[in-house]
Amino acid sequence: MRSMVDDARIPKPGFWSNWSSWEEADAQNSLGHDPLFVFPKDKLVEEGSNVTICYVSRIHQDNISCYLEGVQIYGERLDRSVSAFELKNVSFIRKKGTNVFCKVDQGGALGGIVLFVSKVLEEPKDFSCETQDLKTLTCTWDPGSDTGLSKQPSQSYTLFESFSGKKTLCKHRNWCNWQVAQDSQETYNFTLVAENYLRKRSVSILFNLTQRVHPMTPYNLFPKNVRATNATMTWKVHSIGNNSTLLCRLELLAEGKVIQQHNVSIKVNGEYLLSELEPDTEYVARVRCAYTNHFWKWSELISQKFNTAEAAPSEAPDVWRNMKMVSGHPTVSLFWKPLSKVHANGKILFYNVIVENLDKPSRLEVLSIPAPARSTELTLDQCSYQIHVTAHNNVGPSPASVIVISGDPGNEEVESGRVNGTEDGFSVSWKPQSGDATGYVVEWCDGPQDLPCVLQWKNLGPNTTSTVISSGAFRPGVRYNFRIYEISAKRMAHLLEKKAGYLEELAPSDNPQVVMSNLTSHSFTLSWKDYSTESQPGFIQGYHVYLKPKAGEQCPPAFEKTVLPEDSVCCKHTIDNPEQKTFVVENLQPESIYEFFVTPYTSVGEGPLDAFTKITTPDEYSHILIRIILPMIFCVLIVMIICYLKRQWLKEKCYPDIPDPYKSSVLSLIKSKENPHLTIMNVNDCVPDAIEVINKPEGSKIQFLGTRKSLTETEFTKPACIYLLPTEKNYSGPGPCICFENFTYNQAASDFASCGHFPVTPQAPPHQLGPLTSPENLLKALEQNYMNSLGEIPAGEANLNYVSQLASPTSGDKDSLPTNPPEPALCSEYKMQMAIPLGLASAPPSENSSLSSATLLGQGEHYR
Amino acid sequence: MRAQRMRRTPLSVILGLLFLSMAATSKCLGKYHELLLQLQRQADLMQDTSTLLDPYIRIQGLDTPGLKEHCRECPGAFPSEDALRGLSRQGFLRTLNATLGLVLHRLTALYQDLPEAQQLVGLNIRGFRSNIHCMTLLLRSSSEAETPEPTQPGPGPTPPPTPPSDAFQHKLKSCRFLRGYHCFMHSVGQVLREWGESRSRSRSRRHSPRRAPGDTAPSGPCRGGARRMWPFRRDRRLMPRGHLPR
Repeated sequence: MRSMVDDARIPKPGFWSNWSSWEEADAQNSLGHDPLFVFPKDKLVEEGSNVTICYVSRIHQDNISCYLEGVQIYGERLDRSVSAFELKNVSFIRKKGTNVFCKVDQGGALGGIVLFVSKVLEEPKDFSCETQDLKTLTCTWDPGSDTGLSKQPSQSYTLFESFSGKKTLCKHRNWCNWQVAQDSQETYNFTLVAENYLRKRSVSILFNLTQRVHPMTPYNLFPKNVRATNATMTWKVHSIGNNSTLLCRLELLAEGKVIQQHNVSIKVNGEYLLSELEPDTEYVARVRCAYTNHFWKWSELISQKFNTAEAAPSEAPDVWRNMKMVSGHPTVSLFWKPLSKVHANGKILFYNVIVENLDKPSRLEVLSIPAPARSTELTLDQCSYQIHVTAHNNVGPSPASVIVISGDPGNEEVESGRVNGTEDGFSVSWKPQSGDATGYVVEWCDGPQDLPCVLQWKNLGPNTTSTVISSGAFRPGVRYNFRIYEISAKRMAHLLEKKAGYLEELAPSDNPQVVMSNLTSHSFTLSWKDYSTESQPGFIQGYHVYLKPKAGEQCPPAFEKTVLPEDSVCCKHTIDNPEQKTFVVENLQPESIYEFFVTPYTSVGEGPLDAFTKITTPDEYSHILIRIILPMIFCVLIVMIICYLKRQWLKEKCYPDIPDPYKSSVLSLIKSKENPHLTIMNVNDCVPDAIEVINKPEGSKIQFLGTRKSLTETEFTKPACIYLLPTEKNYSGPGPCICFENFTYNQAASDFASCGHFPVTPQAPPHQLGPLTSPENLLKALEQNYMNSLGEIPAGEANLNYVSQLASPTSGDKDSLPTNPPEPALCSEYKMQMAIPLGLASAPPSENSSLSSATLLGQGEHYR
Repeated sequence: MRAQRMRRTPLSVILGLLFLSMAATSKCLGKYHELLLQLQRQADLMQDTSTLLDPYIRIQGLDTPGLKEHCRECPGAFPSEDALRGLSRQGFLRTLNATLGLVLHRLTALYQDLPEAQQLVGLNIRGFRSNIHCMTLLLRSSSEAETPEPTQPGPGPTPPPTPPSDAFQHKLKSCRFLRGYHCFMHSVGQVLREWGESRSRSRSRRHSPRRAPGDTAPSGPCRGGARRMWPFRRDRRLMPRGHLPR
């Protein structure tokens, strides 16, 4: 051990004493009862120091591990129970100290220490002192890091003034107040000492008090007498000493920028007239002051907002018009731009539009349009009008903007040109027409053509022949149309030129809808007449027609081979006329598959590569086949349908069941060719001279109706005959009946049907006869017999037999049937024949008879 | 973990202020069940290590392997759960009040280490003691004839007179003390919960040491380590009817 004096009064460096003699200590015995002892306990060191830590264990064990914040550390073993660890360049971890501990691996005994590592005390920075009132000095500094720990409080600061020998312990870390002495001390030498357990740091400054005056912030800054173009600002300052003067700086800001700056020397009250102000404008005035005797620092700023008063608008509104005819009347849409804030001089309340007829004296028409409207519409007649437009605010109107409208719009058709767009906009130029132009106007629509036009215009001077039209609304790929008007001395506008252009041309975004027609074996026609070239993102220069022929085939003559982006090869034809919207693809092969695709192109490129449309050319004869066979098939179908619908008529005409001699075509043929007077013989008209009767030797297998017996079972002893009746129609009595052979007639049927008689067999009971006398019974019998006959007719005999249809004039009375037995005399009238199955030969006669009951009943009239 | 603590902090403040205001106005809940429920909830809140122990371990740098496991409760520092269960209700409340008084005193010494947490926990303990006072009054009014039970001597928190320890030992001791405090509050919560359960049981089993099946009390902060039975007198007086629930 050795020692040294540590006192500020003793100049450094001091001198160490001699070392004491060595003393021997028994470490183990000093441990007490703890099995493990780690030291030094609660050591306080500075960051970056090297620290040696030892442990002494009461039990001699090798399995003791030591850790620094949980991380094992390795040291030097001094003997069996003592080890030392050197920690180099220790760092600050926490205010609660760094934990270092050792423990027996298995026994659980634990010993440890807390090493308090303090941050290094820093020298105070930016130490300075100043006064606001020459009474109190305020010293400030940047303290740097806090060195406080559990073991050590934060560093303290002491202010020491060497001339007065006074010092004060500062209560705050970064500032301290010092009372200025009453003895008018002007010069001060301050030393700031920062101190903690480990270190002291100090910094000194020397200054004159009057050179460290930092005035307090001015107060009560207000505008006074605020007008449209000037205002007076007033403010106050805190006095410094007696009769001290302050230099104040008054600044005027508009939209955040200082536009005026004025210096004013004052004692307590300040005042300044600000001029050249804009009407109806918000300003900010701010003031700061400094000690005049010796400038040290400006005081803090004080600010105040104020608004100047309004004034009448200083400029006429920028007016333009758009003319159109509505229902035969010229209609003028007037547009005007809102006045800029600089020119409006206040809030615009309304616009006045005064319309004056120039052709004939009339009353002025005045329209008042409330703001913020920017347009109005006027319907005029064919006269010329002068229109005045003024903007009004609270104070008054603006100068008038005058425009003259001619009632006769004239022929304003002019040639259209193109204009190139650049990054800056469209560079539009024109050629003056007349020498008395007072100006030019370029108008355009800000949006695309398919959107409602937002009319824009630009006024230009009379000597201007070009301008750059720029707008934030311009977009690439949109066509903009510009119109250049010349304003005459009479303030009338005449259209000079039209220009169209793109800010930046783009490739077409879509392809035309192509219609294919006139497909032949060697050609087809493509057309895209609906494609509008006006609404494309660039000037359409033409079209590319792509054609993919079948594999191995050469391109048609008008095409050239090209490679598509997807590396497929196809043929391409270029149409360099944007108005040509049809194209005939020729020289094709029959029965081949072709794919085509049409795309427009601009100066930038062509449209998107869409899908190809596939077509197949027909063979060379297919069109012939189509032209002949299809109509034929159609005609056949028509004929078949007609035949089907008229089958009954055809049947009667061509193959009736019973030929009608009067309807026979043979008759007409004979009539026309041989003997026009030839007629069909009517039996009634004939007076028979002689009748040859021929016996029919064999019987017919005719089933007789009502007896349920086959005719073969009935022996006809009488020959088949026809009764010949007298020609007199009024003959009513029975008479001789002459029979002649008619092989087409069935005698049995004739006996029954032609006379309406039912032959009654002797065995037939009377009751069997009765029911048949009524039509109902007859029908039943017929049906029953028909059904039976269908079952009994052999297949080979189920053909038609002609049944004689002889009707007696009296036999038609059905009431006489049961009472009047068949009388052959009544059978002389020839009736139309009908075809019925053999078994139904007894059906009543009818021209279109069938076996339906309705027909049978209806035919009853024939009996009368 | 921090977020969880942040969520709990306002709740602790609210509860603490509530209980403080109750104590300040000296108005006690006259309903046994509500008071008991409040005590149970307070005990659950105070056994939560995130309010005190966890911040302490983190601030002191004890959350490192090798040190963490040495922050376990000192046997005998606080009455064990069995010892608490063996007390009569009046005795239990007196012991609880005395123990928490010592805890409050000890926490004041930890103010430098845990300024914010210590303040909140202090409020909680004061509120809890207020409710203990109310419960004591409620039990006393319902059993006027009950023989006054001597106050049990203060439990372990009073440190034995030992030479001043170094900072390392102080850290470990404080850590163990805080863990013991949370364990103790866990045991208190268990006993209070049994008070509520005992109403539905027979009187003879009012202080059954067994836990009720399906007990959903929060798991306590105490893990492992034999807890010494606190030698309190087993006084199992019945509560008079009419005031205490069955």
